[in-house]
Amino acid sequence: MIERYVEFVGEHEINAIFKYAERLRDLSILHVNSTAAGGGVAEILHRLVPLMRELGLNVEWKVIRGDQEFFTVTKSFHNAIQMGRGEIPDDYFKIYDKWQEINANEMPLDYDVVFIHDPQPAGLIKYRKKGTWIWRCHIDVGNPHPEVWGFLRSYVSKYDGMIVSIPEFARDDLDIPQIAIPPSIDPLSPKNVPLPRTTVDRIVDKFGVDRERPIALQVSRFDRAKDPVGVIESFRLAKRHVPDLQLVYLGSPATDDPEGEIVYRETVEAARGERDVHLLMLPPNSHVEVNAFQRAATVVMQKSIKEGFGLTVSEALWKRRPVIGGNTGGIRIQVINGVTGFLVDSPRAAAHYLVYLLRNRKAREEMGEAGHDHVRRNFLITQELRRYLMAILYLTKRHAS
Amino acid sequence: MEREASRPFAFKSAYYLSLYTKMRARNLKELAEGVKKADAGAIFHHVFHTVFAKHRMRPYYTNDFAAWVGEELNDEDLAIELSSISGAEPATVEDIRREVLAILEPRAGERPARKEFVFVSMVPIVYETGLRAKTLAEFLDAVGAAPADSIAYHLITRRVLDGTGRNDFSVWLESEFGLSEAAAAISKIDPLIFNNEEDLKSEVIRILERELL
Repeated sequence: MIERYVEFVGEHEINAIFKYAERLRDLSILHVNSTAAGGGVAEILHRLVPLMRELGLNVEWKVIRGDQEFFTVTKSFHNAIQMGRGEIPDDYFKIYDKWQEINANEMPLDYDVVFIHDPQPAGLIKYRKKGTWIWRCHIDVGNPHPEVWGFLRSYVSKYDGMIVSIPEFARDDLDIPQIAIPPSIDPLSPKNVPLPRTTVDRIVDKFGVDRERPIALQVSRFDRAKDPVGVIESFRLAKRHVPDLQLVYLGSPATDDPEGEIVYRETVEAARGERDVHLLMLPPNSHVEVNAFQRAATVVMQKSIKEGFGLTVSEALWKRRPVIGGNTGGIRIQVINGVTGFLVDSPRAAAHYLVYLLRNRKAREEMGEAGHDHVRRNFLITQELRRYLMAILYLTKRHAS
Repeated sequence: MEREASRPFAFKSAYYLSLYTKMRARNLKELAEGVKKADAGAIFHHVFHTVFAKHRMRPYYTNDFAAWVGEELNDEDLAIELSSISGAEPATVEDIRREVLAILEPRAGERPARKEFVFVSMVPIVYETGLRAKTLAEFLDAVGAAPADSIAYHLITRRVLDGTGRNDFSVWLESEFGLSEAAAAISKIDPLIFNNEEDLKSEVIRILERELL
């Protein structure tokens, strides 16, 4: 399977991955996260774990469990960390700790290397039996809610290292090594493989979207950080100049996101009376549908106000679509302003560049090509895999040549 | 071409892990202070990562300091000046640090930038490619077969980051075969004029073919 990536990243990169893996074959490795489906983390692990096994590594992936109350707590933590504000009742910290203990009792944790993904299972470190523990933080912890971060920090500071998506997210109040590793997309996954034109047409048509007219697309959860209402506003402004423009906002619910339904209703309200707005809520595994819409789109948007990384940007760039992205977080290393798309700070700026791109096929094609190449060199799954192996080598002090 | 070296040349290669340094700059004064304090890996990263095609910046500038000054402070003149720093031999990290500071310090004001500069250090994670050369013929073949990252490692990383002051190829060609002209020709390459490690490798091959064949 891993040899199939040679066509994208070249033989040398794959050889390097094997060389690094050879030095880690005696270690047992565990990944822990909070959801088996929905959201970027589960998606990456579904592809990454089998690849690590194929390299001869001894790797397991486990998902913590929790009730509705626990996921309400972790979603509040998530929002408070990303947005820097929010009301957090005192008992939330107890509920969080209770579920860490339950999971630690049910889950063997005696591995040589343990990757804990995101805040939801971060407290498991309290039950460490052995090994090198690495906290993989997929969200922006640059400006968090002080109390929530203070609580989480007491756990994170016990880790041997932390991985952030971009260096800007790293913290000055931690003394552990902080490594920057961007997440990645898999060019062989159903979400990214080439699709026949007929499949794209069929899927887009099924949802009542007209293939013959320009399509602006945003793929993301119905989450305030993704600014769905701002997307509607950008569309409204752009449509004054491009009357046949359509907007598709493609979201999917995740099991650890109880707030999605509320934001979805807010978005429906914002789009009321607007023709040509398609707000679609698809099941979590609608990968082929997402793929089809990204290929059908004329321009892709990711107008987030806050973003951990925003892998939908790389997905769109990989399909040679220019991206108008919020000037925040990991979007800034995927959208090279004026080269692979445009970075924007307001709905007005988003509308401006949307109109520019809709009117300039040549600019779209050049940016699309540059975007594809940028993703090929930086954000494919083999690069993330290689960087994980390098992080293990470094944190287990096996990196000296 | 068939005489054997006493020590074979073992081709290594490296990818680089990015580590946060806990240093950020919001204006030129803080940038200069950061450049003064940053570890060797950070100076190396911010100046040389643009040689690798995977870099994430617009192609007008040759290093991160120049890009930040140009894009976040809108100081085009200073950005151009910073872009002109040389990465050629015998520059080590300390030489480059001095050159950057000589440009920055007289201009080190406190006008705030739009986005802060985050100092990132780089740790090479080295691996053996398995390629070895005992003769000049084998050496030429191995340079052709090696990953471009391996050429960059021996030409730049060892000299600049490990502070050897001279690239591994020139050292080997001169010490094993007395080829001081070929060694000098390789030493003259300024890696910072390349935007892509494959082009750098092609240049090394071009010089070796000219000097050895």
